[in-house]
Order: sequence, then C-alpha cells, then structure tokens
Amino acid sequence: MQKARTYKPALFLLLLLVLAALVLNISLGSVSIPLDEILAVLFNGQVSRESWRYIILEYRIPKALTSILAGSGLAVSGMLMQTMFRNPLAGPYVLGLSSGASLGVALVLMGAGLFGGLFSGFLLSGWGLVIASSIGSLLVLLAVMLASIRLKDTMAILIIGLMFASLSSAVVSVLAYFSPAAELQQYIFWSFGSVGDLTWSEVGVLGFFWMMGTGLAILSIKNLNSLLLGEQYARSLGMNINRNRAILIISTSFLAGSITAFAGPIAFIGLAVPHLIRQVVPANDHRILLPAVILGGAALMLICDTAAQMPGSEYTLPINAITSLVGAPVVIWLLVRKRKFLF
Amino acid sequence: MSNQNFRPKVNKYVYVAPEILNNLTFGLEMDLLQNIKFLLILLLLSACKSDNKEAEITFTAEGIEIPVDYASGFSLTDFGDFKLVVVKDPWPDAGRSFTYVLAEKGAEIPSSLKYDQKITIPVKNMVVTSTTHVASLEILEEEETLTGFPGLDYISSQRTRQNIAEGKIRELGQNEILNTEVLLDLQPDVVIGFSIDGGNKSLNMVQKSGIPVVLNGDWTETSPLGKAEWIKFFGAFYNKIDEASSFFEDVEQDYLEAKTLAGLAKNRPTVLSGAMYKDQWYLPAGESWQARFIRDAHADYLFSNTGGSGSLSLSMENVLAEAQDADFWVGPAQFHSYNELQQASPHYQKFSAFQERNVFTFSSEKGETGGVIFYELGPVRPDLVLKDLVSIFHPYLLPDHQTTFYKPLE
Repeated sequence: MQKARTYKPALFLLLLLVLAALVLNISLGSVSIPLDEILAVLFNGQVSRESWRYIILEYRIPKALTSILAGSGLAVSGMLMQTMFRNPLAGPYVLGLSSGASLGVALVLMGAGLFGGLFSGFLLSGWGLVIASSIGSLLVLLAVMLASIRLKDTMAILIIGLMFASLSSAVVSVLAYFSPAAELQQYIFWSFGSVGDLTWSEVGVLGFFWMMGTGLAILSIKNLNSLLLGEQYARSLGMNINRNRAILIISTSFLAGSITAFAGPIAFIGLAVPHLIRQVVPANDHRILLPAVILGGAALMLICDTAAQMPGSEYTLPINAITSLVGAPVVIWLLVRKRKFLF
Repeated sequence: MSNQNFRPKVNKYVYVAPEILNNLTFGLEMDLLQNIKFLLILLLLSACKSDNKEAEITFTAEGIEIPVDYASGFSLTDFGDFKLVVVKDPWPDAGRSFTYVLAEKGAEIPSSLKYDQKITIPVKNMVVTSTTHVASLEILEEEETLTGFPGLDYISSQRTRQNIAEGKIRELGQNEILNTEVLLDLQPDVVIGFSIDGGNKSLNMVQKSGIPVVLNGDWTETSPLGKAEWIKFFGAFYNKIDEASSFFEDVEQDYLEAKTLAGLAKNRPTVLSGAMYKDQWYLPAGESWQARFIRDAHADYLFSNTGGSGSLSLSMENVLAEAQDADFWVGPAQFHSYNELQQASPHYQKFSAFQERNVFTFSSEKGETGGVIFYELGPVRPDLVLKDLVSIFHPYLLPDHQTTFYKPLE
C-alpha cells in the first residue's frame, strides 16, 4: 500500500479545485450579479437589490451544496460498486436504484389514468416526487438484497440489478405510451435531473443521508482494500463477504437513492469520476481514493452545473445532458487507451 | 373604483343565491358568513319588494358576488377595496380550492378571512405562463404590465411582440422548469401559473420566496363560454372587472347568436378530428372543449359518446372504422396540406373527408415566431371559433364569413 503522504499535494489541489468551482458556481447564473454584491450578500453587507440576496442565499447556495453532495455521493457510490463488483463499468445505478426511482415517479406523474385521483394532492406537498422516488428505489433495493442473500456469486447481483432495471423501464414505457403530452413532458423533465430548486430543509435531509452513506463507506475502507485482491483472498483475511456486501449495498443506496430522489437520475458522474480520479491520483488504497473521489465528484458536478446554467443566458440546460457530455467522452477515452488502464 | 359603477343584475342574484352561500364558505369564518347570509336575505327581500336601484344601494356595502355564468372553475366576490377570488380544482381531480385576496393598498382585510395568497392590486408587474393569459391582458389593455413569460416565441400578438422586441418582457425558459433566478430577479407582483397536477416545483419555489403564485384553471374548462369567462378573473387583478364583463357579454351574445343560427341548419354533418402520431390517433374526447364547439356548430362529432374531457388515443383501425365516411375533418394536428398528410400515412387517403377535400386546420395561422394563433386567441374568442366552424359545416348560413382560425388544407 502506498503512503498517504505521497498523495497529499494531489488531494490539496483537488480541494482547491472544489473551492474554485464553488466560487464560480455561486457567482455565475442567469441573472448577472456583480462580484462585490455577491460578497456583500455573503458578509451580510448592503445589497443594492434585495432580490439578489434572496437569489444567492435561497437559490444559488442550496444549489451549490446540492451539487457538492450529489457529485461526491454519486462518485463514492460508483467507486464502491466498481470495487465490489471488480468491474470498471459498474456505477451507482447497477443495482437498479434509478430504475426503481423512475418507476415510482412515473406512477405518480403518469399513472393518473390508472389510479384516478389517488395521487392528486400528493404532489402538492413538494415532497411527493421525493417520496415516490425513494419508495421505488427502496423496493428495488429490497428485491436485490433478497436475491443477493441466496446468491453466492457477486456478479449475479449485477445481472439481477440489470433485470430489475429492464422490468421497471418496461412499465415506465407502457405508462408513457398512454400519457398525454403534458404529463409525459413532466416525467421527461424529471428524468433530465436538476440540482436547483431544493429548499434548505431538503438540502439538510440530503446531507443527512450523504453522511450515513459516506460514513458506512469510510468504515468499509479496510474491507474495500482487501476486496481489490479478490473475494477469496478477502475471505482468507477473515472478512465476512456477505456482511460486507450488505454494508456496501446499503451505503450505495443511501447515497444514490437520496440523490436520485432529490436531483433525479443524474447519469455518469458516478461512473466517470472514479476513473478520472484514478488517472490523476493513481492509487489503489481506498484511504486515498475515497477523499479524492469525494473532492473530484464535487468539483465536476459544480462545473457541470455552472455550465448547465449557461451564465448570462435566460435558458438553462438539463444537468443530465451536461454530465453525460462530460462523462461519455471520458469513458470512451478510457477504453481507447486501455494500455494504461488503471483499475 | 368599481363599486359605484358596478350594477348587479338582481334577477340573476335571486337565481344564484344558494350557490353564493356555498362558494363563500371557502375560507370564510362563520361570523362573516352570517353577515353575508343576512345581507343576502335583505337583498332577496328588497329584490322582491323594491326596484333594482334600491337593491344596488343595499348591497354595495358588503361582498357582491360577480356573476360567473358559464365557468365552473372560479368565483369572484367584490368587497369594495378588496376582492376574493376562489379557484376550484385548478387541475383535474385536485379536490380542493384556492382562495386569493386581491386587495388595494391600505385595504382592511377581516382577520377572520383565511386565504392562500394575498395580492396587491392593481397589478403593475405581472408574469403569466400561457399565451391565453397574454390574450386576456391585451383585451384588458394591460399588456404593458407583462414582464416575464416562459417561451416568448409562442406569443404571436403584434402588440406584445412589440414589447418583446423592445426588451420589456424577459424570457423565463419553460413552464415546467421556469428559470427561478430570472423570476426572483423580476420580483413580479404576481405570477399567474397553471399546474397540470399541482407538482410544479419552480412555482413552489417562487411561492416560498414570497412572490404570490395564483393558479389559473381556465384550461380545465370544457365549455367554450366558460373558458372565455376567465377574462373576468384577469379583470380582477387590474380593477377592471366591469371592462372584462362587458367584453365577455359581447362574446357571449355573438356566440349564442352563432349557435342559434347553426340550429337553423337542415342537416348535421358528421365530423372527425385529430391525427395520428405513429399508429396512434390522438383526438379530443367527447366531453372536451373542441367537441363542444362541434356540437354547438350543429354537427355530429363521431366520438362524442366517449367520456372524458381530455384527449383520446385510439388505434388507426378504430378511427377508420368509425369515421371513414365523416363529412368533415377539423384540426388534423400539425398538418397543413393534403400532401403532408399523404406522406405521413397513406391510410389518410381512405377517409372521404380527405378525398372530398373537406379537411380544415387551425394550425396554419401562425405568428411571426411560429406560435399558433388559435391557442392564444381561440380560448378568449369562442365566438370567432364557432363562426368559423358554422361557416365550414353550413356555408350557406354565413356566406360572407372570413374564417379567423380554421383554413382549408392546401
């Protein structure tokens, strides 16, 4: 195992990158607010327009925090899944979490024809979609967990996750087929993902789940390192494979499930960031990888969100498109230069 | 304003009294309700005993229900310096109503009055979210108050386009994901939104920031006159209820005249509507707004026995079997010419309306930025829509009518 000291400069640079991205993210948006006004808001000074104070404090900062939580959380869960499945193409959604969430949301948004007024008013609270998405993820997770108890082979869980994803997307397709344009549009917009429009209390809830998920990941660092050498070897080191597997699945579910509930199914960040980080910080030790991935995920998400806001323009782009625009070339690039592939 | 020149129609009052009692229970505490009941009884008595003028004087002191005859989605009560707007079921099956207080500066609102939002009127800085709302503002000559709109290109009217060109109206993105930052920056007095299921997150966010959001439910109205009557709802925000009412009365009169005229027709032609996307035919349901127009134009919509007020999606076979011999085909989605129809699907040629060149569309009349004029103006001018259809189905009844929205396919 490498010494942590060797990577300290890299981690420090990543931290600086996150801070720079954070400043950029808060200072740029559809409405151009001069930098000194932003500083005035942050340090409680005089602002020439009260609405600017509101935009900064109640919109941009919660949005930036959501970006940090979502980016880092997805990157951590992606890393956990890649290590657990020993598969470089695993990501936070291989367990079918996002498909479960999509199904829950689709039932609420487009299932009106099936359930009549059952869900109406449910959406009013503002928590409706969050709850629907969480229940969907939870049900898929329980199914995968039940299956995983019976399975000896970790790889089979990967396939089961994929199958659940296909099942729920089939139901979503049927619902979408019979839905009027307006409802379909709402569902599509949800599936584009968004880190904006979260209130402080929602950011708080997201932060709580983030701590739980990341906490479990930190507790598993030693086991993750053993897993890199193969399940047999890990077992010989005295690791309880099944228990460890359950902990990793629960950690991923806390992270990916809560992020999907609040920000929609954000693609690729979870898949791409661990690979990106391995290029910058070529470490196998999860004591270094974990903080590096957290910082990398946060920085990338902040940058993607800043780009999605298209500063100065009144239009915004869906965050999902931007993360994929960044993520997909990374994956392609990784596969093409497989010679130096680090995993 | 408004109290001195407001003239309630006493006869109507006697007729709607039970409804008023029901409507006013929304958000009103009992003591206020008792007062109104008492006043209503007074009114009923005075209406019986004395002439109209006296009733007017008795009643201007307290809440006067503005007559809303066709629309089922809102009620309007004038209390002098403030007005109460109750919007019922702003989206299908909402199962609740929203109470809005529209108050002039310095108005005293009884503390017992419960409401969802309070808006200071007359509104100087307004954000609306549907082109239909834009048409209403223009009719009330208040388009200058419009400061933001999602999807500016959908707006066709020249007066508002002029304001857009001068940079007076900000782009807000799309209705489902409004640009929160720009909206917060605009700080409008009110945002007139609509929600297809109560789950518009941007509107929730705006509301939390202290900008009042008022939900408009005009799109759920299925009666053509009911939809048009929402002009009174907009009138309330500008202290222009009288102007709105008199505009509506003209539209109502024209509409009813056209309907009566259509009733004189000797035949009831059969009508088909909508078009296919892939192999699904999307068409208005039997109780929908569009179906009501066809019925009022004295024609038989072939799918009028289907329930529901939204749209239907039927298989091509189904529609062909039912409507192959339909005399007319109105509103074939986005298609503007027989050529386009034929290229999209050869099945369209099987319809006799296609063969006889009896297909009419409202989507070819567009504004300079591509917005379909029918969607903007049709809802507030049902009289023009109905006249178009009457002149198409029964040309001899309106020989000189130049259609506004519906044009024959090329």
